[in-house]
Amino acid sequence: MPIEVINLSHSYKIGTPFEHKVLHNISLSIKDSQFVGIIGPTRSGKTTLAQHFNALHIPKQGKILIDNEDTADKKTDLVKLRHRVGYVFQNPDYQLFAPTVGEDIAFGPSHQKLHRTEIDKLVQESMHQVGLDFDTFRNRDIFALSGGQKRRAAIAGVLACRPKVLVLDDITAGLDPRGREEILNVIKDLHQNQKITILFISNSMDEVALLAERIIVIDQGMIKMDDLTRNVFARTEELRSIGLELPEVTVALENLRSAGFHLPNGILSVDEAIEAIAAALQEKGAHH
Amino acid sequence: MNKLIETINLSYCYKAGTKEEVKALEDVNIAVWQGEIIAITGQNGSGKSTLARHFNGLLTPTTGSVLAGGMSTNLKENIREIRKIVGMVFQNPDNQLVSSIVEEDIAFGPENLGLPQTEIIERVEWALNTLKIEEHRREPLHNLSEGQKQQVAIAGVLAMKPDCIVLDEPTAHLDPRGRRDVLESIVRLNREEGITIVLLTHFMNEVIYCDRMIVMDQGSVKMQGTPHQIFCQSEHQKEQLHKMGLDYPVASQLAAGLKLEGFDIATDIIHTKELINSLCQLK
Amino acid sequence: MELTKNITLGVYLPGETIIHRLDPRTKIIAATILIVMLLLSRSYIAYAAVAFFIAMIIVISAIPMGYALRGLKPMLPVLLLMWIFQLFLFRDSDTLVLFNWWIFEATEAGLHMGNLIILRVLFLFTVTTLLTLTTSVVSLTDGLENLLNPLRKVGVPSQELVMTLVIALRFVMILAEELEKIIKAQMARGVAFDQGNFIQKTKKIFPVFLPLFVSAFKRAEELIIAMESRSYTGGKGRTKMKTLHISRADLTAAITILIFTGLMIYINIATEPFI
Repeated sequence: MPIEVINLSHSYKIGTPFEHKVLHNISLSIKDSQFVGIIGPTRSGKTTLAQHFNALHIPKQGKILIDNEDTADKKTDLVKLRHRVGYVFQNPDYQLFAPTVGEDIAFGPSHQKLHRTEIDKLVQESMHQVGLDFDTFRNRDIFALSGGQKRRAAIAGVLACRPKVLVLDDITAGLDPRGREEILNVIKDLHQNQKITILFISNSMDEVALLAERIIVIDQGMIKMDDLTRNVFARTEELRSIGLELPEVTVALENLRSAGFHLPNGILSVDEAIEAIAAALQEKGAHH
Repeated sequence: MNKLIETINLSYCYKAGTKEEVKALEDVNIAVWQGEIIAITGQNGSGKSTLARHFNGLLTPTTGSVLAGGMSTNLKENIREIRKIVGMVFQNPDNQLVSSIVEEDIAFGPENLGLPQTEIIERVEWALNTLKIEEHRREPLHNLSEGQKQQVAIAGVLAMKPDCIVLDEPTAHLDPRGRRDVLESIVRLNREEGITIVLLTHFMNEVIYCDRMIVMDQGSVKMQGTPHQIFCQSEHQKEQLHKMGLDYPVASQLAAGLKLEGFDIATDIIHTKELINSLCQLK
Repeated sequence: MELTKNITLGVYLPGETIIHRLDPRTKIIAATILIVMLLLSRSYIAYAAVAFFIAMIIVISAIPMGYALRGLKPMLPVLLLMWIFQLFLFRDSDTLVLFNWWIFEATEAGLHMGNLIILRVLFLFTVTTLLTLTTSVVSLTDGLENLLNPLRKVGVPSQELVMTLVIALRFVMILAEELEKIIKAQMARGVAFDQGNFIQKTKKIFPVFLPLFVSAFKRAEELIIAMESRSYTGGKGRTKMKTLHISRADLTAAITILIFTGLMIYINIATEPFI
């Protein structure tokens, strides 16, 4: 299900003294099964852009085509569209509204005129996909979940609608390292095994560097970069000048480089880095 | 050096005495030394927030005691003095800022202390300058980024001239730049103004700037020491940290990997600088 | 989906006009006088005078007219309903029956009562909005606190009341933004807020308030803890960074409002009600 954005602009509070433009002439396209990271400083417009993908914002200037359907077209069934493009919010409390985990996850499919057994099957499958045990958690009170579990429940609720695209808006914020790792593994699995397109908005450069194949950098409502992950994180000075940081590994390698080590560009993971440093050391004739 | 804060056999239960009693802290004995910057880390639910809230008497022990500036938080009459000594900054700036204009919010604390007008103005000025947010003084808070709002929250506490500032995951919801700016401010307050800092955090790249760290798990203190000691590369330590859901800092991970590759590298590396030094000695 | 766009109550629109610079106490007293006169007036001419006066204030304070009145928009359906109720249900002994409809009859007295209620609500709202648009929350607090200070002597916790008001105003925007996010989050899951008739739409709104309340309580709790750790123990013993000063502009404003009050009293005495 390809996404096509054509000359999109967006303003908030139109007609008030507080009117301001948050997106300027954005054009981009996203192919099936891509894993795209969207990064940018606070208020760069990244969330506003992402909310256009599942028609939470309808373009007034420019156009968005989801699977060749125009979201501004009156004939487009927005509810169905929102089932195909799932959106997970940063705060799971906003999205969970049924009393128990099972009921909440069943919310989406129960509006699709499905049979009871089919709904149950979807609930069971989605819970399995996010690593929540069906029998343990089905009747669990939403309020009794931990932060990480809540986020997984929120993802399951979206997955139960069988989306082809998943927009994830800073979903690891505030989690501890283990909670993060669990969520990220779920996402990786959805992308690799279910071939779901992932649009991953994040404030953590380390996460984006590890997961995304392509990165879109947004600043002041404009696309500043749109390239393969390696290429984006090689443009260190530009990223810093718009207020973004680099993944920790990249920073460490940068320091090593300025200390005289010859290391290739575009290294994003610890394992690659170790390999590269080892190679550089051997070249210099360091002893094993 | 003095003990600024000390907990003695501190235990705490939520809803103590009822059926739903939940043990949150068990027999915690730690000290925060004057002038240090100390990290408290651990998974969500490990009890670190509960512990921090004992430091200025927001919570009082179910059993045991907490001394801040030598005064016990168990005595109600000490609380006002204790809060002058120990200030606190929380995770979400929106939920801790009272006023809607920057300088007015910073004045809130000093106003509560009943200081004379000239002194309030001086302190607000000083706090604005120290956190480098003078240019925003008249701005409404909703114009600022989350990171800037958090700087305002810190300034508001600083203006009360505390000996110690406790920060409860101040960077958890910030963007990368905001996170870096806030961390820099915290370190600067410690190094230049001599303020004792207690930093609760999940981020190991923040922990490595601290003099000491405490690792909590399931309501009790599991480790205490300098970051170099905690992040040492012994098998036992690795296993323990992993069990408590904590990562090693990136430089440590690189060092450990290179060690496995057979290079002779120091085993207590936490900063990239140390890694570079160690690698240079190989040549 | 932009709820915050139509919220003007509690919003401060910074400016440097004479209205913005007036002492908050002057503005609060003036607004109170205006409101009292509104509640006492029964003459349409008087309301026309008030409308003119308010329009002048809007122009002087350089607030775009459309924005100043924007907050009224969401209230219109409710007001219309109130007007219809008054028209048909208000009873007075010797009044003219305008027309009959089914078992209801619309009376002239009902018509006037309906008009009066609408006018009062509209103007009341506009006056309060103007006050907050031209006065920052902080100076509003200082002014109110100062004016209510004498009440402390008879045991009214005026400072605490004002603090409550300040925080409520600060949270209007935060909660409106939050409500917007919650609605979006639920729309994203397939709740169609934009579809269905009035009753269906209203029904869909209810699940939105649960997360809003949960979050509001959580925020309130955190705020209390934060205020406590910043040594807030109520108004007693607090000092202030800023002190209020009466200027010449305040005198001018006071004289203007006095003349206007006199005019209003004259109109109400000299004309019959509902003219």
